[in-house]
Amino acid sequence: MHVLLVEDEKSLHQEVRQFLVGSQYLVDSAFTYAEASEKIFTNSYDFVLLDLGLPGGDGLDLLREARQNERQEASFIILTARGGIDDRVKGLDLGADDYLPKPFSLLELQSRMQAVMRRKFGLKRQEVSFGEGFSLDVSGRTIRHGGQDVPLTKKEFDLLHYLLLHRNRVLTRLQLGEHLWGNVLEDDSDSNYIDVHIKNLRKKLSQFAPADFIETVRGIGYSIKN
Amino acid sequence: MRLEAKLALSNTLSKLLLVLLGALLIPPIVERVAVSHTDEQLREKCEQVLTLIRRDGIATFVQGEQYADYNILKQEYITLTRLPAASGGALPAPLRIFDEPRQVDNEMEDFRIISRQFVSTGQRYRLEIGSSLATVELLTATLRRMALWVLVIGALVTVLSDAAFAHHLLRPLHQLIVRRLEGVHHPSAFSYEPLATTTADFQRLDSSLTDMMRLVQSAFEKEREFMSNVSHELLTPVSILQSRFENMLQDPTLGDAHLLKLVDSQKTLYRLRNTVKTLLLIANIENEQYLRDESVSVAAVLTDVVEELEDRLTQREIVLHQDLQPDYVLLQANSTLLFTLLFNLVSNAIKYNCEGGRITITGRPAVTGGYQLAVTDTGPGIAARHLPYLFDRFRRVQAGAAAPEGYGLGLPIAKTIAEFHQARLTVESTEGQGTTFTLHFSQPSRNA
Repeated sequence: MHVLLVEDEKSLHQEVRQFLVGSQYLVDSAFTYAEASEKIFTNSYDFVLLDLGLPGGDGLDLLREARQNERQEASFIILTARGGIDDRVKGLDLGADDYLPKPFSLLELQSRMQAVMRRKFGLKRQEVSFGEGFSLDVSGRTIRHGGQDVPLTKKEFDLLHYLLLHRNRVLTRLQLGEHLWGNVLEDDSDSNYIDVHIKNLRKKLSQFAPADFIETVRGIGYSIKN
Repeated sequence: MRLEAKLALSNTLSKLLLVLLGALLIPPIVERVAVSHTDEQLREKCEQVLTLIRRDGIATFVQGEQYADYNILKQEYITLTRLPAASGGALPAPLRIFDEPRQVDNEMEDFRIISRQFVSTGQRYRLEIGSSLATVELLTATLRRMALWVLVIGALVTVLSDAAFAHHLLRPLHQLIVRRLEGVHHPSAFSYEPLATTTADFQRLDSSLTDMMRLVQSAFEKEREFMSNVSHELLTPVSILQSRFENMLQDPTLGDAHLLKLVDSQKTLYRLRNTVKTLLLIANIENEQYLRDESVSVAAVLTDVVEELEDRLTQREIVLHQDLQPDYVLLQANSTLLFTLLFNLVSNAIKYNCEGGRITITGRPAVTGGYQLAVTDTGPGIAARHLPYLFDRFRRVQAGAAAPEGYGLGLPIAKTIAEFHQARLTVESTEGQGTTFTLHFSQPSRNA
């Protein structure tokens, strides 16, 4: 996957880049409008991660420009800390594939990128297998084992899916909570609810096969290891 | 009462008073005028008769004892009477004017009479000229009627013309109120077109209102700009830190002790982030940065909220009972914000409920119009002294330890979103029994 990261804030740029490289993406960097414009024009990318407030211009103009270029088939995800709420509408109107307000979680960024990919290539049945004989159907939102459905609630499915998506990473309760309850602003970290969900998930899965692939990392969170 | 109506009323009242005064004063005045007019005529006639007598001699008129003459309609009569020689008594007053009945042709009539004694050829005579009082009264009545009509018509005409003029004069004021004040809920809706008026007072009022609104609007503009900058300035560093923490968490060389500290730092950062985002959200709502262009059913939003919170309800074994009769559809609403509002209320009701408790959501049309949605929990309740500060994002900070634990900024957001939808959010609580948050919607709605 070839990604162009357009972000003028050096530290943030570096962190996102490090994360994407760690997740096996090929990352190209642009720090200014001109740089980005040139790279979008000359290369072909799978993704453009676009900050809106750029030195030398507005990211939205860059998006408009890129969308007029028929050779450029990249998916655009807008990353911005701008307060204005119409930016979101404008961005999506101009053909952005997704919009992630800063501050965002890198894990969330990655799962959005995967969702965009799924949409783009219209995979009808995308199955992920895990544990001993489990499989997860992304579009059907079901977990199966040996031809049988594992009955999970919506949140339990989301939790398992997120852990599988970030296999081999330790996810903190905070990151899991943010994914499950999204941008609804709340004070508490919802960690207890995560613990209960994990407990129920293990109970339900272990009725079919051992569920020890969901590991507890003491004091930190959870992880699914291969 | 409107100024124009008040002016018209006072005007009418004063004119009425004038008419009343006229009605009281005109009859006696007219009567006196009529009587003195009659008297004057009688005197003149008396002088004329005397002149004639002096010229032609008394014998021309009086052959016998008396001369009498009256006109056919008996409105006037003249008598000349020879008086017996003075008996040495005091002469009666030579000239008298009085009212007395007289018999004329077998009919009694009231007359205004002038009576004058004079001496001619050594003989005393009495000249009497009478004018029928009925004639005098006719004159009085006519005069009175005319005077009253003039008064009433004059009063009516001036009342109407004054009212019309006041209406014309006050029209700019009316426009000021309707267009400048009532029609403007937000500075952006204000029209800066100057008011068409030649009245200096209104021009001044209008220009000060416009100036004031310019100030308010520029303050709003500045706030919006400030918010945008603040969000950028605050959220960018938070963003950097958040990404950095996430990357560090994946670092296999990091020891357990550091990992734990990292998780803790992440928690602190989230708290900071949520506070910043909440304050920005509130500021953006208050600055009218959100659209209000959807019609949203409360029941539908509530269904989404309950679905989102289903797992928490199950985990805490809380029963949620929904009773919306009927549903309420807001015609100008923002569904995302309404979702946040109801989510905050219901999630609080879960959080501050006891295990195995109950949540009741009741929706009813309000007696005074509009709609009431109440979310009641069976939790420990909130002490009365905390209630006034529950929705206040700034007071909470000052209240410090007195603030109820953990309610956080969820309620200030709820209140702001409620106000954005012209709704009021109120709370009632009984310690040991539970708390009810009620939304009072006043928007006109379409009942579903």
